[in-house]
Amino acid sequence: MSEIKISMKLFGAFRKYGDSLELAIRPGSPADIVKETLGNVLGDSARPLIRDSVLADEETILPGDYIFDHDARLSILPPVCGG
Amino acid sequence: MSEAVCVEILDTPLSVEKASAFVSDPAHGAIDIFVGAVRNHHQGQDVTGITYDVHKTLAEQVLRTICAEAAGLWPDTRYYVAHYQGDLAIGGVSVLIAVSSSHRAESFDACRYVIEEIKKRAPVWKQEHYPDGKSEWLPGHSLAEAEGPEVRHG
Repeated sequence: MSEIKISMKLFGAFRKYGDSLELAIRPGSPADIVKETLGNVLGDSARPLIRDSVLADEETILPGDYIFDHDARLSILPPVCGG
Repeated sequence: MSEAVCVEILDTPLSVEKASAFVSDPAHGAIDIFVGAVRNHHQGQDVTGITYDVHKTLAEQVLRTICAEAAGLWPDTRYYVAHYQGDLAIGGVSVLIAVSSSHRAESFDACRYVIEEIKKRAPVWKQEHYPDGKSEWLPGHSLAEAEGPEVRHG
C-alpha cells in the first residue's frame, strides 16, 4: 500500500473550510506530517492555526510523533474556549 | 453509593434542577452551582449570540477526567457538568456545574477547579455573532501543550 487515507473532521475556526475532508499520507507518517499535509490542502493562511491545533481521535489527543500505519478517522482541534 | 459524576453535552436547555438533584446526597450539606451564560458584549463589542461547537465524545471524556481529578483533590464530592452545543441567544446557559460536599469549602473549591479546567481543556469553541451580521471564532487555549490523561503518547 503506497498511501493511507485520513478522514478528518473540522471544528471551530476550521469550519470555514467545511465540516470534513480527506488526506492521503504515506504509511508510517507521524501526526506532524498529517498537519503539514493539511496545510498543503488548506493553504498557507491556515498554517498558523494548524500549528496551534492538535489531532485527536474519538478518545484522545494524539502527540506529534504518533505514527499512522492504517487508515484513520481524526479531528483537528483548534485552541479551545469552552464555558 | 451511586455514581458520583454525570457529564453531558446537550443541544437542549440545561437544567439547574437536574444538576441539583443529581448531586444531592443526605450526607452533603453544601451544593455549589455555577451557571455560565451568554453575555451581550465582549471586549467592548456588542454580541447578539454565540454558537458552541463541541467534539462531543472527546468533550465528555475530558469532563469526566476533570471531575475525577477534582474528586481526587476534594474527596467525597459529587459532580454534574453539562455543556451546551449549538446556538444560544443572550442569557442562554452555556455551561452548568454542580458540586456537592459535606461542607461548603470543598464544593466552592471543586466547582471553581472544574470550570477553570473546562476553559483550558474541553474541546469546545465559541463563534460570536454581532449586530452587523458578522461572526468570529474566538481565540483560546491551545491543546498542544496539554499534559492531561486525555493525551495518548506514541
